[in-house]
Amino acid sequence: MKFRCERDVLDRALSVASRAAATRGALLQVLGGIHLQLEGDCLLVTGSDRNLTVRVTCQVGGQEDGEAVLPAKLAADIAHALDSGQVEVTVGDNEASLSSGRSNFSLRTLVPDEFPRFELPAGDEVTLSASGVAAALDQVVGAASGDDSRPILTGVLLAAEEDGLRFVATDSYRLAMRDLPGTSILSRDQTVLVPSRALEVVGRLLGDVDELTICLGEREAVFTVGDVQIVTSLIVGEYPNYRGLIPDDHPNSLIVERDDMLDALRRVRLLATDNTPVRLEMSSDGLQLKAITQDIGQASETVDANYDGEDLTVAFNPTYLIAGLEVCPDEELRLETCDALKPAVIRGVEDSDFLYLLMPVRVS
Amino acid sequence: MSSAGSSDTAAPSAEGAASILHVDMDAFFASVELVRRPELRGRPVLVGGTGERGVVAAASYEARVYGIHSAMSSVVARRLCPDAVFLPGDHAHYGEVSRRVMAIFRRFTPLVEPLSLDEAFLDVSGSVALLGTPLEQATEIRRIVSTEEGLGCSVGVAPNKYLAKLASEQAKPRVGERGPEAGVGVLVVRSGEVGGFLERLPVSAIWGVGPRTDERLQRLGIRTVGKLAEVPEHTLVELFGEVLGRHLWRLARGIDDRPVDPAQSVKSVSHEETFAVDRTGREDLHHELVRQSNAVAGRLRAGGIAGRTVTLKVRFVDFTTVTRSHTRVDPTDVAAEIVETAGELLDGLDPTPGVRLLGVGVSGLQDASVRQLRFEDLDTRTRRQAERTVDEIRKRFGKEIIGPGSAFSSSDEPRPDAGSRPWGPDNISQGHEGHEGHEGREGREGA
Repeated sequence: MKFRCERDVLDRALSVASRAAATRGALLQVLGGIHLQLEGDCLLVTGSDRNLTVRVTCQVGGQEDGEAVLPAKLAADIAHALDSGQVEVTVGDNEASLSSGRSNFSLRTLVPDEFPRFELPAGDEVTLSASGVAAALDQVVGAASGDDSRPILTGVLLAAEEDGLRFVATDSYRLAMRDLPGTSILSRDQTVLVPSRALEVVGRLLGDVDELTICLGEREAVFTVGDVQIVTSLIVGEYPNYRGLIPDDHPNSLIVERDDMLDALRRVRLLATDNTPVRLEMSSDGLQLKAITQDIGQASETVDANYDGEDLTVAFNPTYLIAGLEVCPDEELRLETCDALKPAVIRGVEDSDFLYLLMPVRVS
Repeated sequence: MSSAGSSDTAAPSAEGAASILHVDMDAFFASVELVRRPELRGRPVLVGGTGERGVVAAASYEARVYGIHSAMSSVVARRLCPDAVFLPGDHAHYGEVSRRVMAIFRRFTPLVEPLSLDEAFLDVSGSVALLGTPLEQATEIRRIVSTEEGLGCSVGVAPNKYLAKLASEQAKPRVGERGPEAGVGVLVVRSGEVGGFLERLPVSAIWGVGPRTDERLQRLGIRTVGKLAEVPEHTLVELFGEVLGRHLWRLARGIDDRPVDPAQSVKSVSHEETFAVDRTGREDLHHELVRQSNAVAGRLRAGGIAGRTVTLKVRFVDFTTVTRSHTRVDPTDVAAEIVETAGELLDGLDPTPGVRLLGVGVSGLQDASVRQLRFEDLDTRTRRQAERTVDEIRKRFGKEIIGPGSAFSSSDEPRPDAGSRPWGPDNISQGHEGHEGHEGREGREGA
């Protein structure tokens, strides 16, 4: 195999595809590699850990067809470090060389036979506007769990709602939910559970395109974003009953400027070290934030707010609270509470498509 | 020598800045038993696993006359002294007594760093003006522990933790030719006396010198700490590497600047058990795991702490020991969660060669009173709630009244409380006084 291309083309293809490559401890060494396949001027760059496959299609100056697997991180790092300009890639029996200007690298290749075959599942393709999906992913994916011992929660639930598509993610401490009205990719009452890792890759690509297509198979989903295809296995299992978590009734409601509260939170949290929560003291006077860490010190700040309800203090993990406020769509937000042990609901005052549910920190 | 940690700032005292105390209870478990059973006083008493595979957890000084010491196999101990009274351990009770003893220490200073149930470091530099010299405080501590708890302890007073611990060792009761002999009780090593105190001690007395390092030092002709102090630092670094070399050089001079840290009090809560018969079945081991996890979780909740890291310890028949840890996303004090994590670790091991010992522990501890709630907590029938209820029931009706169903196995008699026999199973067939039963609690009523 032999081809030439611009460094930027190779750099991007390798960095995008390597997000799917297995990191350390892979069962099969070849899964830590990037598969290159050249046919004419079309180069397919694929990373895969079996559960997630990312394939980038790019145009290069092809000279000799062939395939090879390069160690993913190393190849991506090399392409990224090279000066911009032409790169020539040549692959021999068990060695690949990358040359650009005065730089020459040769790399031992991996055996391509064991690399997973790229197969697209059968199913109907649906085209969606990239901006809506990008916003939804941005708001929701971060709330999914990173704990592999509860695989269900590492996924983002895509559910058909009456008038659109719903995204839900929770790590059991907080839950983020976003509706995309007028969007339908699922049949009535259908749900799929997509690994958040795959959606992170998708989300990062959406800035460069106007639309994307989604194809849902039985066990897999394919996202096509421009010249990148993301194939992911779906998570099997029953998602927790998230609807039951959302309280119907909130006796206490706080309305506050989002950025004012964010700024204050970021200051006060400086004194909330380790596992110390930030306390929200809500009264008719407004909102006071407080952090007290034993043997370290304390911080407090008042924030202008409209509060309707009985005097109440609720403590939250500042990281989770900030994460929720940051993705809240309106400039003004409403924080609704029941008591110090029940989840708080955060949403935009105008927007009704987004909701962030956060469990407090119990302080006894 | 001015390496006395936090005592540097202390007002000069008669002890020459020696204001770190190491208090070590004398034959703690055995002595606690003797308080409950005064009729056994003067007899050789052993606490520990009484079965074929058990180990001695504590031996009274009368038992030590026979050459018995803790960590010795119970079988060997019995051979050395067939008349010894073997008592199963009662960890819960020792913990209770330990808490009271530590509370006595805290009357003298808030800077108490417990090392285990039966020893602690105290920094009394702040209480000299109020309560007297460190020597006077040490003497008073011994008096109070003796009158309030009926227990003996030995105290080392020195400019730092390392020297204080060495000093308490020298102050302890001994076993002489004619039986147990009282020790000095309190030994003070003042700054000016450090060289002379260390000089004659064997190198094995140095903290961190195990059998291996000891052997290497012996081969180099270095037998005493005094001899070691003559070796230049760079030579020790060449011989033992950067870390150990420097460590040896410093300790040979009595230098130790670790402060007494009360926050270091507990680093982990664990339980382990040596089986009477090697276990090979996964299911069998899982039952054991459930029992031990319940004991660990109960102790965590009693202490108001929770931890993120769950560690499983397995010793196979050939004595190879593996430990595996997993750090959970959030801290736990719930047995079901400990079982969940430790169970996964156990699944990764092959028990078929035969498992001799199983242990489970939780570390990475933090205050459980501050807890990030989960959506699951909205359901009042959570596992944590259930276990808390069990805690309550046990408190009122006794430990053996209730336990998790999976802690019972058909191949075994029911004994839900794993905490009662952390040093190996009791031998039911041998009719020695004090362990006629199998639950580790019988015979105590006579105390």
